[in-house]
Amino acid sequence: MDFSFTLEEEKFRDELRTWLEVNLPDGWIEGTYVMPEDDATKGPFLRDWQHKLSEGGWAGISWPKEYGGRGASLIEEVIYEQEMARVKAPTVLNIIGTAMVGPTLLQIGTDKQKEQYVHKILNGEEIWCQGYSEPGAGSDLAAIQTRAVKQGENWIINGQKTWTSYAHFADRCFVLARTEDTGKKHEGITAFLVDIHQEGVETQTIRSINDKREFNEMFFDNAVVHESDVVGEVNDGWRVGLILLSHERVGVARQTFRLQKLFEELVDLTNNLKRNGKPLIQDPIVRQQLASFRAETRAILLNYYRHLTETIRNGRPGPEGSIDKLNSSELTQRILSFAVSLQGESSLLWKEDALVSASWQQAYLRAYAHTIEGGTSEIQKNIIAERILGLPKDIKY
Amino acid sequence: MDFSLNEEQLEFQSSARQIIESRGGLQLSRQYTEGEENVLNDLWAELGELGYFGINIPEQYGGLGMGALTLVPVLEEIGRAVLPGPYAETMAFGTPLIKAYGTPEQKQKYLSEIAVGKRKVSLALLEESIDFHPSTLQLEAQEVDSGYVITGKKLLVPNADVADTLIVPVRTGGGHGEYGISLLLVDREDTGWEIERLKNLDETRNLFNVTFNNAHISEEQLLGTKNIAWGILQEGLVYLNAALCSTMVGGIEKTVEMSTEHGNTRMQFGQPIGRFQAIKHRIVDMKLALEGSRSLSYYAAWAVENKSVEMIEAVSLAKSYTSESYVKVAGDNIQNHGGMGFTWEFDCHLFLKRARALENYLGSPNEHREKVAEQLGW
Repeated sequence: MDFSFTLEEEKFRDELRTWLEVNLPDGWIEGTYVMPEDDATKGPFLRDWQHKLSEGGWAGISWPKEYGGRGASLIEEVIYEQEMARVKAPTVLNIIGTAMVGPTLLQIGTDKQKEQYVHKILNGEEIWCQGYSEPGAGSDLAAIQTRAVKQGENWIINGQKTWTSYAHFADRCFVLARTEDTGKKHEGITAFLVDIHQEGVETQTIRSINDKREFNEMFFDNAVVHESDVVGEVNDGWRVGLILLSHERVGVARQTFRLQKLFEELVDLTNNLKRNGKPLIQDPIVRQQLASFRAETRAILLNYYRHLTETIRNGRPGPEGSIDKLNSSELTQRILSFAVSLQGESSLLWKEDALVSASWQQAYLRAYAHTIEGGTSEIQKNIIAERILGLPKDIKY
Repeated sequence: MDFSLNEEQLEFQSSARQIIESRGGLQLSRQYTEGEENVLNDLWAELGELGYFGINIPEQYGGLGMGALTLVPVLEEIGRAVLPGPYAETMAFGTPLIKAYGTPEQKQKYLSEIAVGKRKVSLALLEESIDFHPSTLQLEAQEVDSGYVITGKKLLVPNADVADTLIVPVRTGGGHGEYGISLLLVDREDTGWEIERLKNLDETRNLFNVTFNNAHISEEQLLGTKNIAWGILQEGLVYLNAALCSTMVGGIEKTVEMSTEHGNTRMQFGQPIGRFQAIKHRIVDMKLALEGSRSLSYYAAWAVENKSVEMIEAVSLAKSYTSESYVKVAGDNIQNHGGMGFTWEFDCHLFLKRARALENYLGSPNEHREKVAEQLGW
């Protein structure tokens, strides 16, 4: 067992830390930042941040050097996520582009696609979103109904997508649509690169329970895509879609490290909140609960390291990522629920009127999405049961 | 970054499993509860011959010269079979303390005998109030010429019937605090002790009240420095707690396997019951408890081996998490097995009872969480 990083890896960390100290938005390091609430300010703010990241060479760190990336190793990517979580860096607006669409195009895109899209992804000129889920295709993703019909050199797309993160800031969407009905739902799907600034595409932002606007519905009404914007083969979109998802190498790392940070903040909160004149952290029940959360957060981090070791050894991630995803999203929810509960009656106040910090109430509500997005906890449990433990598959209806 | 057991450690694991299973595995433990207590003698002798008692003993004393991490796979295997006996106490309490604080003569005698499986060690810690506070240690050792005399009782001593040496904290300097506590190595062959067997819910793990009647112990049997051994005792308890975690991980692993196998084979309503999410997802929850317990326990063992500054915290985190997980998982395993899980004949209850025994042995989950809080300066 060896928990250390190599000198080279530590150098990578130092370099990133130094860069963040200079380049994070004002007030970020000190913790006095406020993320703009309204989209009109938030959009440009996040675009600026994306631009800075790409200028600094920190946008597509796992991309090959010849395409402007850093060619970072998996461990370096993990360090990157660790550092970004440590400083609670702003969201990377083009995360779908840099982590998934770009690498997919580099792997299986045509020369034209590479030339047309790849460098714009990295420099943040074009923001991407991902059109997978539909109202009738959530956990059962292959049940998509959005259709694309060939018309000359073009494909005409009709249908509806939903839960499309950051589509309201995006320029293009990686869309899965049904192109043939074979009766088997994983067949007859094709992957398209769609310009969403066209007449046939309408984006409606969904207002979430935390009063934020992060997800969207997208309506395709005779939207047009040129045949050169098909990724991979026609009707082979299910496989292409999985290739795209497989490029998201460190999403679980991100969640795991954020959880560690969240726990530290919870400890601070119990130091600062008082009951009967004494900090809550001195209350035996609070201490017990904190220590229990500490054990769970450490277990999740150490599980992650153990799975990472296996990933490095095998050269590819296994289904163990589901364990990390399930654990960290569920625990995040419980920690945030506890943090709200600790605040007593004042926990009802949020936004400008929050007595402690508005972010707890917002994050608490947001956490209900953690156990749904990217595969619900129930789906993760099925994956663990079937692929890790070898239990029987659910009955297929 | 490499968070895994190495080849050699895995090798220890698979051969320990093979040996234990070839001699009956869980059946050994069951026979033991039915009064055939000698059933383990051959197993311990074989493990002794193959060096399993010498893992963390220096080569100069006939050991293999490895660290606490290499004990992990063996402890897991002992936990899988719910084996009785003071392996953890011998290897993870007696051995490291004698190695670190013993005189050259003590090391020569004890370590070389432990290494070949000839001497087993247990600890006689608790007194009347069953508490870990220093004030509750009151057994007095009177100083006489060239040694000590002790008269009094220690309670809930594990395996006092088979142990050859008991490490006994005694009060040599009066008082109620941490000062004044010394450790004595009390050997059965020199002094002896009376045992009174206690009825124990975990029948695979015998507990005894031990009485010392005017027992003379020579001054050469003092382990560490007189009057200031409280710290040494605490250090030993940290090591032993880490080891208990590994045995619990083995038990948890076995229950997950039992439930998985049952889920795949038991048919109800025309389906294997593991197809129903109510069962399937509970087994997954058990698996999650296993993975967390294993990671925390590996880390605790790593922290012990490397004398990490986080050692105490790491061990207490692992002990609180793993012991609670074990109780939960062992209970879920019974539920998954339905009526047969509730029977004496079936093996499920062995795990639940061992889980309950280890939950509070050397500190309850609450006590360990409080220790975490202290370590973090809360």
